[in-house]
Amino acid sequence: MWSYTLRRVLVTIPTVWAVITVCYLLLHMTPGGPFDGERKVSAEVLANLQAKYHLDLPLWKQYLYYLNSLLHGDLGASFRYADWSVNDLVANALPVSAAIGGSAIVISLFIGVLLGTIAALRQNSPIDYLVMLVGSMGSAFPSFIIGPVLVLVFAVTLRWLPSGGWNDFALSYMVLPVALLTFINVATIGRVMRGSLIEVMNSNFIRTARAKGLPMRVIVLRHALKPALMPVVTLLGPLAISSITSAVVTESIFSLPGLGKLIVNGASNRDYTLVLGLVVLVTIITVVFNLLVDLAYAMLDPKIRY
Amino acid sequence: MSNKQSLQVIAAAVALAMASGAALAAKVPAGVKLAAKQELIRGNGSEPESLDPMVVEGVPANLITHDLFEGLTATDNDGTLQPGVAESWKQTAPTTWVFHLRKNAKWSDGSNVTADDFVYGIRRLVDPKLAAPYAGTFGIFFENGPDIVAGKKPASAIGVKALDKYTLEVKTAFPVSYLPELMSNAQLGPAPKAVIDKYGKDWVKPGKMVSNGPFVLKDWQVNSKVVVEKNPQYWDAKNVQLTKVTFLPIEDQNAEVKLYQSGQMDMTYQLPPGVFQQFKTTMPKDLKNNTILGLRYYSLNNRDPLMKDIRVRKALSMVVDRDLLASKITADGQQPAYSVMVKGVHGAQPSTYDWAKWPMAKRVDEAKKLLAEAGVKPGTTVKLSYNTSDYHKKMAIFMASEWKSKLGLNTSMDNTEFKVFLKKRHDGDYQIARNGWLADYNDATTFLALVQCGNTQNDNFNCNKKAEELIKQGNESTDPAKRTQLLTQATKVVMDDYPMIPVLQYTLPRLVKPYVGGYSLKNTADRYRSKYFYIAQH
Repeated sequence: MWSYTLRRVLVTIPTVWAVITVCYLLLHMTPGGPFDGERKVSAEVLANLQAKYHLDLPLWKQYLYYLNSLLHGDLGASFRYADWSVNDLVANALPVSAAIGGSAIVISLFIGVLLGTIAALRQNSPIDYLVMLVGSMGSAFPSFIIGPVLVLVFAVTLRWLPSGGWNDFALSYMVLPVALLTFINVATIGRVMRGSLIEVMNSNFIRTARAKGLPMRVIVLRHALKPALMPVVTLLGPLAISSITSAVVTESIFSLPGLGKLIVNGASNRDYTLVLGLVVLVTIITVVFNLLVDLAYAMLDPKIRY
Repeated sequence: MSNKQSLQVIAAAVALAMASGAALAAKVPAGVKLAAKQELIRGNGSEPESLDPMVVEGVPANLITHDLFEGLTATDNDGTLQPGVAESWKQTAPTTWVFHLRKNAKWSDGSNVTADDFVYGIRRLVDPKLAAPYAGTFGIFFENGPDIVAGKKPASAIGVKALDKYTLEVKTAFPVSYLPELMSNAQLGPAPKAVIDKYGKDWVKPGKMVSNGPFVLKDWQVNSKVVVEKNPQYWDAKNVQLTKVTFLPIEDQNAEVKLYQSGQMDMTYQLPPGVFQQFKTTMPKDLKNNTILGLRYYSLNNRDPLMKDIRVRKALSMVVDRDLLASKITADGQQPAYSVMVKGVHGAQPSTYDWAKWPMAKRVDEAKKLLAEAGVKPGTTVKLSYNTSDYHKKMAIFMASEWKSKLGLNTSMDNTEFKVFLKKRHDGDYQIARNGWLADYNDATTFLALVQCGNTQNDNFNCNKKAEELIKQGNESTDPAKRTQLLTQATKVVMDDYPMIPVLQYTLPRLVKPYVGGYSLKNTADRYRSKYFYIAQH
């Protein structure tokens, strides 16, 4: 297992490098530069700005300069947020995204597995239809519709919760964004869990357990649940990554200072270093989560040996 | 009038203006009871690119730095010029100004603000090492400024000198009658050298920043909030009512409105498009809509083979019904515009076209005639470029519809992402392009830059030598009346060339809670210093 883990970690290095290089080239090929604004800066000022950020060097030199900084743990200076380094920006935004996305994953995992299990065990009953309806709604309604509805009801009309913003991890500010992400995740997890458990419950070993006269509670908890969770675990990696790094819509609706907002601003401002820094981060998070999912998979399924 | 007489007139006018502007901070009308909690939450549009006063560029950053820092002069919430750190000033020669600093102006660490702090600040602005975006814009006004920005002379050569601890001499590159107005910009204010030397780039962070404005930096969380608190060291602190101001960088205007409606914000930055009429009906007391010094226009690429012909440019401009555009399409209180110069700007009058008063049918006939003379047949296609935005799209569709229905011209719509669009427009890779301009300072020259030969801001690439000469004469004149006359004439001359299609003068609709006092609808710069706000009991 350790050698596998080490191998996987080593494989990530060329992956991260390839992603950075492709992204670096694409960013520099995109028309429009970081200093293009409604107000055009004079040639002299533009030259000063380019010199400050090393953009006056040939592209290959800029690239090597960037890689060298990266190897020293320095993601560079942001072009858009002149007073902050990309390291600062990422360090400030990551905890926000992690808090919102992480909470949503944990809650939706619990609710989704529970609802999926209930629906599977009460297949074709009213409760099953209800769970499936909620699941379909979560998949059918996009977050940019559900989010504003939540704001309208709970913030504007009832005034129970803030409509947006961020206040140092205060619970009240987290409720609506977490609820939105949870709603979407629950729909996916619940449907996958239901399908998986139904399949497991129809398998031969469960039939044997039933024939032995084991109580349903024992059959489900001890024998069915573990294999039924496999597809859910597979799903967790991408869900976690998207909840933490790609919550662009959620962060926009609730004006959250997370990574999603940074990456959108970075791309639209041609803030090369910021975008690259976030790409590095997202790549690493993706690799780590995929690794964790694979390890969890191996723990749940003894047939898998590395 | 001789130069000496002109200077005397200016000096008298300045003294009069200062005497009338004696009331300095938040004016709380008689009978208004102040709320116990004097805290304001302002929508700020977007995250400030910096809080370094010499580096800031955009409006959101400027709004915060004007609370944190104060220049030689300042503007109140009516937009009227007020003394800042300078108590008085006078023009001692056409290109020389002397500012007398108040002795009780202090930095937030308790040290005195001196003339040397201004010398350092302005040298810092134009120093190529800082690479300040506004170095070129403001640097041109000072003696040796352009050469310093271009790296040909050291920053120490800038025409700013401390005559003593509290007297500052400013030498300009040409007569700048509106220099006191210019000096209200934070970019031209003082900078705390010792703090910058100590902390480097980090000097703007909470706990490190030392500032000289009515407020000090308390907290700054990127994309979340900037919090400032009352500066007890500020020379006019006793008249500052607010104890805390929170700036929220909410880019999504719909989200901003929701924050306002849910009671989390006292003042939005701007309303989203399409809701102005709704709020006019439902929240008339909260809705504020200022006409500001800004112009929406369409650049005509004067280098383009088709647009080179003045008859084509004139025809395209004549048939655009600005009244309809303002009242039905944008429908947010903006005023029709027919000149590069907008209403309310100092130093020149807006010109207009005779045909603006003609019935539309007559305008259309004339425009058709012009196109026929130019050999442009109905069915010809013009290309209209704009950036992705519902607002710009709506306006572009209207323009295309005007040209199609009235002149039979087809329009190909070239919609691109903002930065791509800007590059194309700046490079002249377009035929007709959306454009807009907000004044940097209240003087005609900020708008004339849009139509001057070779000016960086001239995306139309037009050039009228006669207008250039008039502008030059106007700028060299020390007689304000004469200068206004010359620049007004220049405006008329250049606009008769139809380099662009002015369409609307900007307004800035926003929501302000009725209990927020000090908000004025006269502020054409849309620069509101929190110093002048107060919270009434509610």
